[in-house]
Amino acid sequence: MLSALSAEALKMRTHKATWSLVWMFPILFSVIFLIAVGIGLAGLEQPATQSLPEWLEDTALIWNIPGNSIGRYLIAAFVAVVFAGEYGWNTWKLIVPHRSRTSLIAAKYALIVILFAISFLLTALISILGIWARDVAVGSPLPAGITASVLLELHGKQSLAAIAPVLVTIGYASLAALLTRSTIAALVISIVVTTIEQVIFSFGPALALNFSPTLIWPLYHGLPGYHLANLGNWIEQGAALRVEFPTSGIVELPWATSLAVVAAWLVATVGAAFAVFRRQDIN
Amino acid sequence: MTEAPILELANLSKTYGRRGGGVRAVRDVSLSVGAGEVYGFLGPNGAGKSTTIRMLIGLISPSAGEARLFGRDLRTDPSVLRRVGSLVDGGNFYPFLSGRRNLEVLARTHGGGGDRIEALLDQVGLARDAKRKVKGYSTGMRQRLGVAAALLGDPDLVILDEPVNGLDVAGIQEMRALIRGLAVDQGKTVFLSSHLLHEVQQVCDRVAIISKGAIVRESTIAELLRQDDGLRIEAAPLEAAEAALASRWPVERDGEALIVRATRAEAPEVARRLIGAGANLFRLVPEQRNLEEVFLSITQEASPDA
Repeated sequence: MLSALSAEALKMRTHKATWSLVWMFPILFSVIFLIAVGIGLAGLEQPATQSLPEWLEDTALIWNIPGNSIGRYLIAAFVAVVFAGEYGWNTWKLIVPHRSRTSLIAAKYALIVILFAISFLLTALISILGIWARDVAVGSPLPAGITASVLLELHGKQSLAAIAPVLVTIGYASLAALLTRSTIAALVISIVVTTIEQVIFSFGPALALNFSPTLIWPLYHGLPGYHLANLGNWIEQGAALRVEFPTSGIVELPWATSLAVVAAWLVATVGAAFAVFRRQDIN
Repeated sequence: MTEAPILELANLSKTYGRRGGGVRAVRDVSLSVGAGEVYGFLGPNGAGKSTTIRMLIGLISPSAGEARLFGRDLRTDPSVLRRVGSLVDGGNFYPFLSGRRNLEVLARTHGGGGDRIEALLDQVGLARDAKRKVKGYSTGMRQRLGVAAALLGDPDLVILDEPVNGLDVAGIQEMRALIRGLAVDQGKTVFLSSHLLHEVQQVCDRVAIISKGAIVRESTIAELLRQDDGLRIEAAPLEAAEAALASRWPVERDGEALIVRATRAEAPEVARRLIGAGANLFRLVPEQRNLEEVFLSITQEASPDA
């Protein structure tokens, strides 16, 4: 398994376009903070006092990316290339005879999760250092109470909340890639599914009011959108996300229900991906 | 062949599409290949060679039948493929990686063979181009890299699909020597498909001819060429000779010669008839067809029911 994982890493790190999808977050944040520090050093920004929660919140902005649509589209693009690229390059024929199909797919999942974990953790570290450097450059006083444990607690919670959307997106995109055998098709399907899921979550009550409550209500409960946000709310606020439907009532679910729904989606998509690939003819 | 076969196919079939309305790409293919053999799988384009090979290396699953490698059923024990090296479709590689890096990826996937990369690149004549990206390789270079990839895991069975496609004359000769060397010097078993009869004739011990998805002949090359295809006769006057033989065997004219559809054992009787009819016999030889003619006659005759 480790050798299959290292083979995946070796091939992907040479594919610049794919590689850049992973490392664009730390690179982008580095550039932003370099500019911020430059502005501070040039005296173009006035010193300001931030409260501890505001300061901490700034350092944790990165963890909002996996949960929003744009972040998920980028993750889906990477997953689509990793899985469907093998069809485009016709290289399954090269590697399938040498390793069980299950381990080949497992290695791809492992690579994606490890790379994004490293990428986001690195970006979080860059954010903390970048904001500190910006404040030093501008001359803003650092709020009192910044300790390693405070930072770890906040980033730990935020990263935990960010995991679920990443995993669900990986599930969508990998299954679409294996079913369609096309990077573009997998990306388009992932974008469409993610967008539908987000639209239903964001505008569920309004859609139910104006269109079909009997359709929107079960979709709202069945799709991962609400449950991802609800899990995030439980982790960050310690309470359920309350959404009022004017037609049907209030959605306010325990974290265990949301975890079960998200887990079901993950098991369904990833399990289907394994099953599809195990039975698939590679012509 | 006294040892257990290295490769054994029993009624292997592949149907694409729905049952009933599906297309049978391969039908009831049965053959066996012994250790150290170079076995040729001959057939015209679209005959089912590549489909059979893909079933052999686990890329597609058979609709029916069984493929056994080293005595183990491929369907229940696919790990046996770790002893197999293969080249299909002229070598498929990551175009953005160099030749060497592609072999490194394969070695890591395979879980070994990395120490053989340099020697193999040298063996297939790609050492100088190993750092170049594969997208810049010619068809022949990809083919050579494909052979290197097939040999990377030091396999006991090497399966090559059209290995000389895209190679120049010198490359073909080198490939021929390499394939023979695999069997003779290294004791490996080679199963190769080709539509190039000359190549098969040069390197294979036995061949199976596949046409329209079914095997229509399996034998040694020598046996294939030794078929009783008639006798070639040069005699004069030709009309008298033809009249003397036509009452007994089918006779065709071939320029100034006659082709008599008689067996080699009937040659003395043919000679006696000619002399008895007052014809002068100058030459009587078995009609020798080359492999191409044999192949064409076999594949054209064969039209198994769908």
